Amino acid sequence: MSVKETQKRFIKAMKKKFAGEDPASTTTVYKYEGYTQSKRKVEFKKAGDAIAKKRGISAYNPMVHMGGIPLGQRQLTPYMVSGTDVVVEGDDLHFVNNAAMQQFWDEIRRTVVVGLDTAHATLEKRLGKTVTPETISNYLAVLNHAMPGAAVVQEHMCETNPGLVDDCYVKVFTGDDELADSIDKQYVLDINKAFPKDQAAQLKKAVGKSLWQAVHIPTTVVRTCDGGTTSRWSAMQIGMSFIDAYKMCAGEAAVADLAFAAKHAALVEMADILPARRARGPNEPGGLSFGFLADIVQTNRKYPDDPVKSSLEVVASGCMLYDQIWLGSYMSGGVGFTQYATAAYTDDILDDFCYYGYDYAKGKYKIGETKPTMDIVNDLGTEVTLYGIEQYEKYPTTLEDHFGGSQRATVLAAASGVTAALATGNANAGLSAWYLSMYLHKEAWGRLGFFGYDLQDQCGATNVFSCRSDEGAIDELRGPNYPNYAMNVGHQGGYAGIAGAAHFGRGDAWTASPLIKICFADKNLAFDFTEPRKEFARGAIREFMPAGERTLVIPAK
Amino acid sequence: MAYKAQYYPGKTSVAQNRKKFMDPSYKLEKLRSLSDDDIVIMLGHRAPGSAYKTIHPPLKEGVEPDDPIRKLVEPTPGAAAGDRIRYSQFTDSMFYAPSVPYVRSWMAATRFRGVDPGTLSGRQIIEARERDIEKITKELMETEVFDPARSGVRGCTVHGHSLRLNENGMMFDMLQRVVLDKSGNVYAVKDQVGDPLDRKVNLGKPMSDAELKKRTTIYFIGGVPFRSDAEVVGWVQRIHNERTKCGFAPKL
Repeated sequence: MSVKETQKRFIKAMKKKFAGEDPASTTTVYKYEGYTQSKRKVEFKKAGDAIAKKRGISAYNPMVHMGGIPLGQRQLTPYMVSGTDVVVEGDDLHFVNNAAMQQFWDEIRRTVVVGLDTAHATLEKRLGKTVTPETISNYLAVLNHAMPGAAVVQEHMCETNPGLVDDCYVKVFTGDDELADSIDKQYVLDINKAFPKDQAAQLKKAVGKSLWQAVHIPTTVVRTCDGGTTSRWSAMQIGMSFIDAYKMCAGEAAVADLAFAAKHAALVEMADILPARRARGPNEPGGLSFGFLADIVQTNRKYPDDPVKSSLEVVASGCMLYDQIWLGSYMSGGVGFTQYATAAYTDDILDDFCYYGYDYAKGKYKIGETKPTMDIVNDLGTEVTLYGIEQYEKYPTTLEDHFGGSQRATVLAAASGVTAALATGNANAGLSAWYLSMYLHKEAWGRLGFFGYDLQDQCGATNVFSCRSDEGAIDELRGPNYPNYAMNVGHQGGYAGIAGAAHFGRGDAWTASPLIKICFADKNLAFDFTEPRKEFARGAIREFMPAGERTLVIPAK
Repeated sequence: MAYKAQYYPGKTSVAQNRKKFMDPSYKLEKLRSLSDDDIVIMLGHRAPGSAYKTIHPPLKEGVEPDDPIRKLVEPTPGAAAGDRIRYSQFTDSMFYAPSVPYVRSWMAATRFRGVDPGTLSGRQIIEARERDIEKITKELMETEVFDPARSGVRGCTVHGHSLRLNENGMMFDMLQRVVLDKSGNVYAVKDQVGDPLDRKVNLGKPMSDAELKKRTTIYFIGGVPFRSDAEVVGWVQRIHNERTKCGFAPKL
């Protein structure tokens, strides 16, 4: 069976973008008005002129293009952030202009999860000390003093200003309700409160009686240093806090065991290091697996009955982080990456395609329980791609909105992949539908994305179901540095969304790591990971308050 | 049995157009005449009548290393003369332009020699020796694979392939390299990269909508929807299936 009509979720956005115009019209009147169409760009021009005057070096000037023909001769339109009613200027979705996007990444980069079981075993078995809920609470009080950069044990130390590092803290979590209940509540991530009952049960079973610390070092530290700093900063303060809380000798050999546990043995970082040609330390975006990102995003605990929304929030997060920040800046730079990435989280186009796919799959198969066969992949991938293509064709304003083939390729393939993953509960079946979508798209319109799409999207199908070294892996464990994934914008958010979709469809509490899922289930973080798109929108309209600001120690303007 | 190239599956007009555009034995229908100088000024690489710039001496004058491939492959005129490599780049509207980027590249591979095609969504480039690219561009602009209103020669700022059309049916071009005048003819007034021409070039009248839909190589819902070409859709699914299974189990 086929779903004939959907909600056409994008119509509302099209009407706002192209005010007063028929979304289905194939023609329009171009006024060739340049940057003056955009309030934000007019502001930029004014700012550029002022900067040039002040410093004596020319700055932003949209009139330099082609000897005086400014870009923006087509209609410059705003964007509605998908899943919200917030309309924003495109420029405000560039991560440089968006404090929420910056904080999204800062929250991840400044986080590590550190186990306490190894340290407690050292204290109890090697030193004969007693570890109780009371000593743990005391240790956490010391640690929450020390972690932001304050002294314990040592005299006459230079410390950080608490007002600059108020986003830094440590909480703990465990699958043992009795233990969790007996630790001071201010330090506990309460799984039972944060998650729906069935998800909480899954998570507690996975974590068991072990006890873990969710460590968030100061934003300002990782902004000054890098992601590799996080585990070092954390481990130093953990070590000092143990010495203080458990009255240890500062130099005794057991301290080395505690340090080793905090820095290595019991450490879970958010992202792996990268090889020399893309050299970055741990906790940098290129090493963050798609499965971990799907766990960092928390939508599925807030909206457990809407696996499509959960998938879309992961796609948006991935597009922002991997495309705009990682590929768009760490690996390249400049302007174009925002345009690629925003297509997946603005104007409800991907949303419409994904909900269509979900309805189609639900009507014909079973969500999360359909056997992942090539026939199923063929059916879902083909139907969703053709549906999406037909919407672009029926509503040329959507085509004009997604004016680049790479944008459309990402959206069509992501919708296909998310649909197949939701239906089968198998992320690699989702990847398979992704690649099928790319082939269909290319053949239908005789065009796809830019050159790079010829590489990874034409050869990707061959390693979807082969898991051999350097040739394949399950999607959850792939990441931005997976072979052939490392150079091409417009893909990685989709891959992450597909990884998440497989598990959201099955009702799983997590995608790759229960520890990371719980770690980010935290209302004290500056960024709300249950609603990334809403947060990006708040950043765009300048309502988001980030952490790590330096206003306390710089001259007032 | 000797292999006979089939070029493309499908029986719809879009599939058939793709097939004949790619088939070098099919002579592309000539729809307009442009002079050699018209092409030279629109490309903007050299002034009409000026000598070709070279990057090496003519091959006849050089001492070539002994190489069996050189004996097998006859150089193109541009290569033989030592011309530098230049380009022409086309943008095709998704609203039924005769060509699409991949068909342009496939066509370049089957019809022309010494070419380096590049395929994107909003443009398709062919690089070749300068006198060769002039000849190729002339053929591409004079024949049924080009429409003055829906195809464009655009070296940079190519934006327009997916945008709604102007009210007069012209594809959007922020540099307005071509204009539709009151006579109903389209004139080129700027070169590929937007520099004004000393004289305008008449590219003729745009095709009617019916003519465009007859000649186009894009599947599109107002013409031939992709869904309607079951043979092509099935062929793509088969490619996907085979690539997937052979990667999973190479013995297949």
